[in-house]
Amino acid sequence: MTTTERASAAPATLSARARPLRWIAYAVVAVVLLAIPQFASPYTNLQLTLILVYGVAILGLDVLVGRAGQVSLGQSAFVGLGAYAAAYAFGHGWGPVAALALAVALAGVVAVLVAIPAVRLRGFAFGIITLALPAFAVPLANRLVDLTGGSQGVAVVATTAPEWTGQADDQWRVYLVGVVAAVVFWLVHNLLDGRLGRALAAIRVNEAMAAANGVAVHRNKVLAFTVAGLCGGVAGWLYLIAVQFVSPAILQLNLAVSLLVALVVGGTRSLLGALLGAAFFVLVPNVTDNISPGRSYLIFGICLLVVLFFFPGGLAGALRRFLTWTRHRLHR
Amino acid sequence: MIAVQQIVDGITAGSIYAALALALVLVYRSTGLVNFAQGQMAAVSVYIGWSLVETGLPVWLAVLLTLLISLVIGALTERLLIRRFEGQEPLVAIVATVAVLICFNGLINLVWGGSVRAFPSLFPDDVVSFLGARATWGDVGTVAVLAGTVVILQLFFLRTRLGLALRTAADNPSSARLLGLPVGSLLLVGWGLAAVLGGLAGCLVAPSVPLQPNMMDTILVYALAAAVLGGLDSPLGAVVAAWLIGIVETVAGANIDVIGSDLRIAVPLVLLALILLVRPQGLFGHRDVERL
Repeated sequence: MTTTERASAAPATLSARARPLRWIAYAVVAVVLLAIPQFASPYTNLQLTLILVYGVAILGLDVLVGRAGQVSLGQSAFVGLGAYAAAYAFGHGWGPVAALALAVALAGVVAVLVAIPAVRLRGFAFGIITLALPAFAVPLANRLVDLTGGSQGVAVVATTAPEWTGQADDQWRVYLVGVVAAVVFWLVHNLLDGRLGRALAAIRVNEAMAAANGVAVHRNKVLAFTVAGLCGGVAGWLYLIAVQFVSPAILQLNLAVSLLVALVVGGTRSLLGALLGAAFFVLVPNVTDNISPGRSYLIFGICLLVVLFFFPGGLAGALRRFLTWTRHRLHR
Repeated sequence: MIAVQQIVDGITAGSIYAALALALVLVYRSTGLVNFAQGQMAAVSVYIGWSLVETGLPVWLAVLLTLLISLVIGALTERLLIRRFEGQEPLVAIVATVAVLICFNGLINLVWGGSVRAFPSLFPDDVVSFLGARATWGDVGTVAVLAGTVVILQLFFLRTRLGLALRTAADNPSSARLLGLPVGSLLLVGWGLAAVLGGLAGCLVAPSVPLQPNMMDTILVYALAAAVLGGLDSPLGAVVAAWLIGIVETVAGANIDVIGSDLRIAVPLVLLALILLVRPQGLFGHRDVERL
């Protein structure tokens, strides 16, 4: 309703007249996206679910890295913490909401406790300190066998499709994960679309300048770190629902680095970029595996370099430029 | 006496971290980047060295040739891949070095395969003992080579025209360009020298570990911790920090049962966290002062 009001209030420019068209386009895309799980194979649905899972983790990382400019190598620890918390909760017969609450609460508390001392550091020192999170988390998960199942990991039945939906489990998981991911994206978007977003932008550009202009630098950095951790926790819960299994592998530094890489490949400071980066991270290894299993890693690296070389703004930046370009062509 | 032994072992391990940390510092000083591919590039050097030894060359000659080839690889990496990302958002440049890491890892798998190999020792296997501690000539040689490298590096940076030019280009590229310095070539030299130092670290550690594509990963984490602890822009700081990390890691690993083998890698990071909380600029780093 507010959008139509705004549209009618706006002068009748080209973009205002094009607005109904744009909403129709959004609706078509939404319907197509919602329909895909009905026709896709269980494997494809799992891939879709994983894209959404990592999308949430990368979105959180974007708040800290893309918005606040603090490079972190610790995001995998929060995803893993969320997944283990969810596994514990589901394993002890808790409901999905209680499991989510536990995952988010644990990830949030750990994030605040780590952030308060860590944000005093700047630049690369901060990045190297966050590296300690996976370095600690993996041995810890291996040792706390009673809670985590040790190196074997834990398998749980998280949720199954309710009867009334008439959906298969893989379809149900896509929708469930999709709805939660959409809510998280909406919340983060609203959170950044105001005071916090501007404060983080100021901190990213110049901390001293931000402080001089009255931005509470430390508090906002702690907040950004906490949002990243919370998103990691939610992503962990989603991961458990998608895969129904968690092992120390998810805590490793490899995943933290991969998430950072995916963030940059998708495009920083962009909601769509988080999803595109996750899609790159999930799908491209499959493609390179098909090309040549032995050279998969090398080809993946080359793909990465190619994207960075030609699209320094990431895939989202490239897409935005392409859309602007086509719009100019259409309106000429 | 056991304590002395642990300190000796710590300094030996620390010297290898120090060599790779020096490479990181050199790259940071020349291009303002942390090169996450430094360890992987060192692994490539080690594999090249292994191939040269296999052709029947004496070990020392093979290592010298390897270092020369490393110089070229490092310079080419900067010119062909990293140059594009200099002056851009640092985050993109860091991720580019991660991409380089992945490519080199894939390259090793492609050329040499994933099977484990052994690298011959550079020094005699005899054991020397002093103050009740025992060390192999390999340990003594590692420390000696590193000490020599530090002295040469310090002299190079402080006493030669090229060293001065490198420092200028790193400190303020645009002013250096205005002074007529070939900044691009200087960055290339910086990366080449860093690759040599990385290759040296690799060849020093190679005889005592199995050759694998990811053999330098753990060492890179220690080297990163050492470089940051030393202040990132100070070669001497990196070496002192690396020794400190080596000693603390060995002593803590041997005396505190909780740590065991799996948590050893967390020791330098905890040490780093504790020290940086007191001195955010690192042991030998400069506090950034800027004018708004």
